[in-house]
Amino acid sequence: MTTALAATDLGSYLPIFLIVMMAITFAAINIGASLLLGPRRPGETKGGTYESGMNPVGTARKRFNVRFYLIAMTFLVFDVEIIFLFPWAATFSNLEPMGENAAVWLARIGFFLFTTVVMYVYGVRKGVFKFD
Amino acid sequence: MIERLAFLWPEIALFITTCVVMVVGLSRSTGVRRLSALITAVGLAAALVLAVATTPKAGQFAPADGQTLFPDLPVFAKTLFAAVGLLLLPLLVGTVDRDDEREIAAGRRAFDPLRSNRAEFYAFYLFSLTGLMLCASASDLVWLFLALELTSLPTYVMVAISSRRHRAQEAAVKYFFLGALGAACFLMGFAFIYGGTGTTRLNVIADVFAASGINPIALAGLVLAVVGLAFKIAAVPMHFYTPDVYQGASPSVAGMLAFVPKAAGFVSLILVLGTVGWTHGPGGESGHSLPESLRVILWVMAALTMTVGNVLALLQSSVRRVLAYSSVAHSGYMLVALVAGPGDGSAASNGLAAVLFYLLAYGVMNLGAFAVLASLVRRNPKDGSADEIDSFDDLRGLCATRPFHGWTLVVCALSLLGFPPLLGFFAKVPLFTSGIAAGEYTLVVILGLNSAIAAFYYLRLVQMPLLEKPDPTTPVPEPVGVPSRTAAGLLSAAGAVVLIAVAGSLFDQAHRASRDPRTVAPARDAAGEPPAAPPIAARPE
Repeated sequence: MTTALAATDLGSYLPIFLIVMMAITFAAINIGASLLLGPRRPGETKGGTYESGMNPVGTARKRFNVRFYLIAMTFLVFDVEIIFLFPWAATFSNLEPMGENAAVWLARIGFFLFTTVVMYVYGVRKGVFKFD
Repeated sequence: MIERLAFLWPEIALFITTCVVMVVGLSRSTGVRRLSALITAVGLAAALVLAVATTPKAGQFAPADGQTLFPDLPVFAKTLFAAVGLLLLPLLVGTVDRDDEREIAAGRRAFDPLRSNRAEFYAFYLFSLTGLMLCASASDLVWLFLALELTSLPTYVMVAISSRRHRAQEAAVKYFFLGALGAACFLMGFAFIYGGTGTTRLNVIADVFAASGINPIALAGLVLAVVGLAFKIAAVPMHFYTPDVYQGASPSVAGMLAFVPKAAGFVSLILVLGTVGWTHGPGGESGHSLPESLRVILWVMAALTMTVGNVLALLQSSVRRVLAYSSVAHSGYMLVALVAGPGDGSAASNGLAAVLFYLLAYGVMNLGAFAVLASLVRRNPKDGSADEIDSFDDLRGLCATRPFHGWTLVVCALSLLGFPPLLGFFAKVPLFTSGIAAGEYTLVVILGLNSAIAAFYYLRLVQMPLLEKPDPTTPVPEPVGVPSRTAAGLLSAAGAVVLIAVAGSLFDQAHRASRDPRTVAPARDAAGEPPAAPPIAARPE
């Protein structure tokens, strides 16, 4: 077995290096600018941990409503769907327009999307989205 | 790879049925909800027809990336799985929501989709069978792993929702964690096989092994894969979950567990060991066997699995635990034939055909025993709660009081024992002949001894309903109110009798399914030396 290492040409990593540098610079400028320019009025609420709008008081090990998990699972299905849609879309545009292959590919992804719809209908029927 | 997807029509049929059942099972109308079992049956029947009609046989389909291992295996295995799946369905009817549906029908409660498990139950059953069929058509380690997980994951949930008792949840948790351990084992094994050969395609792995032998990394992978798959077939040392899970789950689901994961495990074992072939080792009389290290591991596993299963079955007082341990023992019997391998090309020496045929026979006859347990309940005199019968005493005089159930149990127990005119006997004979043909005499003697041990507890299952008088002081077990379960039991008992008429041709089918030129050792020439070049080298690249 021969294993070819693709990493011999470091030049191909230049775009990644540029992105990383841009990210670091952007973050540094933002933090620096707000340190220099921003007004500072510290308070108890303001100094607390930011928890997406929830009040971060009490233990983190309390029991969460099971609905959080249901929503998370439903989200996962759509998430996975998007992951599969991207490579499909990238390949689909390379196919010959209106060709036989294109129809088959469209039917396949249509079937895949249909399964997501089934999941959604199942979720609605089961009462996943019913908050009362 | 992609052209192979065109042959997955049975799986696609099952999957579409799953989608329908998912939605139909949650309908607000009782009548529509009741349809889910029927829709499941229609889907399975369609899968059965499609499995026969659309699965390519050897020679009909030449994939660009090399012929798969056992090219005739998918058609046999898929047909078998769809048929036994169809037979299991009436047993599974009414497992979930029975009490709730009764309350709803009486108007005491409104339908609550969150409490109802019917949609999930049938959908998961179909998912599990889809995975099982995908196992049979696997041509790649990744595919095989995903198929095995698709088979197993739904069964964990089915155990959990099969009963509202805490026992079922305990069983499901136990089953899930040990199942995860098993999955980790064979996934690690698959990774090592990939590391040792540089490919995940089963037929290419076979080529690599044939050309350059089995390196230690790949061997470690094979051993790990075998141990991990031992969980699926409930073989020693991965059998500990079996009695607890079978007892904790409702008997109908236990009946399914005895077939579905076991079939997946054995088909996967045949595929994984098929990459090595039974052509490497020094071998016994016939000059062909697995590589010595693998042969020893499987040999010890087979001997221990038979003995542990049978001896522990003797000590049980719960019939469900007896059947669980006997399921362990049956895996041991099948492992004997797996050690023996495909033999020299004749049907009598073909151990792989013996395994496939035994799976068929076991699937048919074991179902009846569980169907009897699932279709009778004993009412607790104190609080009026009903429990499925589980002790030997509950079976006393059953042939007189409940003749259908009693005779079903008698026929199925005798068949499981391997009593001569029944299907179990015709399934057991090839195990012996293939073992003898491969020169595994010690193992065959252990197999014979274990069949004798098994007679003790199986004959108790015959004696209790048939020869004992019903106890006048205790009430007769009541039917559970799901007639289809009794029907499933009767079908199973009938199968154990009727299928002997076609046993010969079914075995021929199994023989054809387990044929692969790569796994059979070359015939020896007059000097007793195998030809210099293994047959694999003659194949065009």
